[in-house]
Amino acid sequence: MENQTLVKEICPTTTQEWVKKGALLVDVRESDEVNELAYDVPNIINIPLSEFEERFAEIPKDKEVVVVCKAGVRSLRAAGFLINHGYDANKVVNMQHGIIRWAQKGFATKGNTASVLRNTQDSGCCGTTTSSAEQSCCGSSPKTEVNKCC
Amino acid sequence: MTEIKVLGPGCPKCKTTYSNVLEALKQSNIEANVVKVEDIEEMMKYNVLTTPVLMIDEQIKIKGRVAQVSEIIELLKK
Repeated sequence: MENQTLVKEICPTTTQEWVKKGALLVDVRESDEVNELAYDVPNIINIPLSEFEERFAEIPKDKEVVVVCKAGVRSLRAAGFLINHGYDANKVVNMQHGIIRWAQKGFATKGNTASVLRNTQDSGCCGTTTSSAEQSCCGSSPKTEVNKCC
Repeated sequence: MTEIKVLGPGCPKCKTTYSNVLEALKQSNIEANVVKVEDIEEMMKYNVLTTPVLMIDEQIKIKGRVAQVSEIIELLKK
């Protein structure tokens, strides 16, 4: 999402760096989606978007948080919601392109990647037709250092 | 004049909600200013998590599902 300024956005490659530094991933996909395919990282919690309003307080305010989903749209809304509820906009970021791009990049997952990889062969993350893991994931111009991409 | 906003990124449910609003106004002969909000930043100002959202005079009335014509009429008459 290029045309919003409330939430900083990072790509899956930058998310890997955040994870190495101890960031918490918050996966807002529904349980059935997570059961099929999950992010395989040390610090992760699943708060489905349908339960987010009731449960968002489970997310610590003092940690760096990357909000994730399937394609990066639901997670953007959730990240905006957190910032609107007093979370630090420098600590809460959205991961663009979701688990689709994450799996396409070959990053660690648990479960069956077939459905998301099939998805990306039909349509690339930026509206282009691509299934190449080599291709840069973001067509948007980065606004800040944290937004640097792949 | 009453202001109705339909918030949503342009998904089929959002489009149905928008057309239901227009139909509700037609059936009830109520005049209102109808605004479609598709801008993600604008939507985030309202802390919206699930779409579509039906707002009447800046109050969220229905969210996360299609608002039916009959219930929109009911809401407008309140």
